[in-house]
Amino acid sequence: MKNNKLLFLVASLLMATTLTGCKTGNNTSNSNTNGGDSSSKVSTKTIIVFAAASMTESMNQIKEAFEKEHKNIKITYNFDSSGTLKTQIENGAECDIFISAAQKQMNALDKESGTEGALDFVDHSTRVNLLENKVTLVVPKNNPFNVQSFDDLKKHLTKKTKGFVFGMGNSDVPVGQYTQKILQYLGLNEEELSKSGLISYGSNVKEVTTHVSEGSVSCGTIYATDAYSGKLTVVIEATIEMCGGQVIYPAAIMKNAKNVEETKTFFEYIKGSKASEIFESVLFTPLFK
Amino acid sequence: MSLYPLYNSLRIALFSSIIIFFLGLFLGYWVKKFPKVIKGIFDVILTLPLVLPPTVCGFFLLIIFGPNRPVGKLLLDIGIKIAMDWKGGVIASAIVSFPLMYRTVRGAFEAFDENLAFAGKTLGLSNHYIFWRIRVPACKNGIAAGSVLAFARALGEYGATSMLIGYIPGRTATISTTIYQYWRTNDDKNAWLWVGINLIISALVLIFVNIIENTERGKKNEFSSKY
Repeated sequence: MKNNKLLFLVASLLMATTLTGCKTGNNTSNSNTNGGDSSSKVSTKTIIVFAAASMTESMNQIKEAFEKEHKNIKITYNFDSSGTLKTQIENGAECDIFISAAQKQMNALDKESGTEGALDFVDHSTRVNLLENKVTLVVPKNNPFNVQSFDDLKKHLTKKTKGFVFGMGNSDVPVGQYTQKILQYLGLNEEELSKSGLISYGSNVKEVTTHVSEGSVSCGTIYATDAYSGKLTVVIEATIEMCGGQVIYPAAIMKNAKNVEETKTFFEYIKGSKASEIFESVLFTPLFK
Repeated sequence: MSLYPLYNSLRIALFSSIIIFFLGLFLGYWVKKFPKVIKGIFDVILTLPLVLPPTVCGFFLLIIFGPNRPVGKLLLDIGIKIAMDWKGGVIASAIVSFPLMYRTVRGAFEAFDENLAFAGKTLGLSNHYIFWRIRVPACKNGIAAGSVLAFARALGEYGATSMLIGYIPGRTATISTTIYQYWRTNDDKNAWLWVGINLIISALVLIFVNIIENTERGKKNEFSSKY
């Protein structure tokens, strides 16, 4: 009788492992069949693009347009915060093109950028400043704390209004770094605010966007493009001064890119007029026209 | 360094364990009495969180408790905040770790000698008395093991918790979300520190489980040598 209890415990744990095992098994077989399909159409090449999370909507539209024109090239995306993407590349993730939401992450992978301790991943000769974005202050539906300006944000943060939570990216996320500059500009001490439980840290801009749209935070700073795609109410745009400079998205081809020709074709495409139109439609400012 | 994540994690794990304890006892006993098919269905539903990725649980929890969702809104109106609040962490951890308690308790209850309950009934004892004074004490080791495992799981919950309550230092930060944030922001020193704290707690919990099991074995040997 006593042994049965233990048996049950072991059995339930075993069940957990076996079931998870089944799932992974299925996944692998799925990806195998996919791989088989693409190799049967001998010429199809896959390009892996690592892009800042804020580019999700525009890059997906560009993929659609591009793949219609180039039947032999398949685009695979990995969207996350530029900091996370940078870490993944450092740890050996396969990547052909990297588009970061700030220079810092690109510099860290670009030895020729002259940045101290930079790793040698980026083909510096291909590097361009692709887009400009704006940091905006957004609020959830009904704006529960009636935030109308950065001064209102400052007021709530200094007064420590009960229930008020400000959503921003963490210090590894470009939009978080821009927000840190904004807080400095407003004369606020981030560390102190964070200690008082007034700041919610998202691990990429999409997480902050969801927190605002779900009303989980009282207001937040995200890009104009994410506010647009997420249909959020923009209170005000942060000025270039507040962010400590323009919000520039650099793009580059990686040194170990696999299908060089196809990668270049796509890289030229995102700099081209069709892609620019798509970028503009979600409020990016293309720097290549 | 703020010890808030430790306090918050322990608080979340403790409250969710209390909920799980009673819910696990009740459901473990109740489901056992159903006919086979219904029992099977309940078993699947109640064990599902064990095999689902915590992100799936987190997704459903957000859909239910998000401040703009009907249930979340209703609760907010009566002053109960779930999303982005430590109470949400209690719910998330309770759901994810519940199956551990449920399965262990049901196993223990199934091994219980029903003749003891029948004997109690012939002596005119109430069902309530039989449950709390005969059934539960007889199965106490299984129940204790289930509770401790559920507590440990709740302490380490990350996926559903981070989706529902995010990371607000000093408010919703738990040990696991704190480790993630420190790692993400390249603060290895602090990440190591919290990893260390977590390892110590987990080791203590497992030692505790072993002690329970050993006393069990000890008693059994004593029993067989006596009779």
